[in-house]
Amino acid sequence: MQDARVRLGSAALLSIAAFVSIEGAFAVFLWWLIFTPHTRSVRSRSVIPGMLALIGFVAILIVISGGNGFSYFVRMALVFLIGTWLYAEQKSGDFLSVAVWAFGKRTGFDMGMTGECAMQMAESLFNDLSRIQTAMKLKGQLWGTKNIVPAGLVLIHDAMVRASDITELLAARGYRTGGTLCPGFCTRSGDLVAGICAICAFFFAFIPVSEFFILYR
Amino acid sequence: MAVPGMRLVLDGVTVERGIWSLVACGTFSEGIHLVTGLVGSGKSTLALLMAGLCPPVRGTVVREGIKNMMLSTQFPEFHITGLSVAEECASWGLDTDTVLRSARLEISGNMSPFSLSRGELKRLHFACVLSRQYDLLLLDEPFSSLDCGEKERLCRDLTSRDQGITVVFTHEQSAFPRVDRLWEIAGGELCDLGRVPDSILRWQYAPALIKRLVGAGRCPFNLTMDEIQEAACRMHGYD
Repeated sequence: MQDARVRLGSAALLSIAAFVSIEGAFAVFLWWLIFTPHTRSVRSRSVIPGMLALIGFVAILIVISGGNGFSYFVRMALVFLIGTWLYAEQKSGDFLSVAVWAFGKRTGFDMGMTGECAMQMAESLFNDLSRIQTAMKLKGQLWGTKNIVPAGLVLIHDAMVRASDITELLAARGYRTGGTLCPGFCTRSGDLVAGICAICAFFFAFIPVSEFFILYR
Repeated sequence: MAVPGMRLVLDGVTVERGIWSLVACGTFSEGIHLVTGLVGSGKSTLALLMAGLCPPVRGTVVREGIKNMMLSTQFPEFHITGLSVAEECASWGLDTDTVLRSARLEISGNMSPFSLSRGELKRLHFACVLSRQYDLLLLDEPFSSLDCGEKERLCRDLTSRDQGITVVFTHEQSAFPRVDRLWEIAGGELCDLGRVPDSILRWQYAPALIKRLVGAGRCPFNLTMDEIQEAACRMHGYD
């Protein structure tokens, strides 16, 4: 998908649709099958088992407490799927362009830059995790559940330090608020079709499909 | 206990990144090897490759008789896995006080390693690394972030290593340990210049002082500060 506006808008609508209802999650899955390059859209496949395990763990807790854990698992897995697709498709500068296009050169620029920083941070987290695993390997430590908490704390610390460095750098360069940018987008017909289908999936998530079938019977 | 006859063989190893590539062939036997090259020539990549952390697109890296290995990367932060200095020392299986004494750091074990300056962190890191005997020790830019005194101390520590294969990857111009063999990365290829001191004559990007000494026909016997000074004295007739 070339147009960042359609991509980000679709991702937002599809995430809401998947989260709201199981029917919406089903519609989102269909959309994902039709409009994305499927598993090729996942940038880091090693993350998938961990995320599914985390969602599964919460789902089990919901089942134990009497809730619908299956529905939660399916809905959150689809939100995660859309997130991985968006992350893989995203190019540097997309957030900034879309935010400036939507909200102007002041608020939009600030929002876009925050989004860009967040994306950059996500990339850095993968690199940091990789280097922590390498460091542990060199020290002869095995990567396992015992190391997750200390590694997580180091990751958070690194992220905080990096955020502080970026803030200082922006301040040192005289950044206060807003900025000038002339965003440009390339829209293809396929983008529009995907965007319209995402809107349909969004509305479908709010239709009480089960009640419709009760009336039919 | 070092294994006799240990060696690391690079058999037609090739790494490619876009239009950039590095080809490496050669055998690293026991002793201290200095791998030099300009910034961006591929020293760090070669270090990762020799450590088995970067797969080559062609060729093989063969480690014969090497039981344990350590790679010290250019940035000491990359090795941190503990949130305090004490935790970091423990992650190496070492006692905090011993490490801090060895690194000559007067800090508390409760301090965050991230609060140390890079130079202090590098000293802490080397105190951990050099406290153990490795069959293969790969040091990527070990002298960066160190002051002159610490560089010399590190050179002495490395020179005193009498077992295993030690490979120092650096573009450093003044501080070197006593080196057995010299290598140079130039034009995308790792060249074995041979044993020191003969190899110094073939060193393309040698530091200016060494080039001047060689030009004056006073090639140093090795690359330590003492030996370079001795060669400089010979040049000025202080025999």
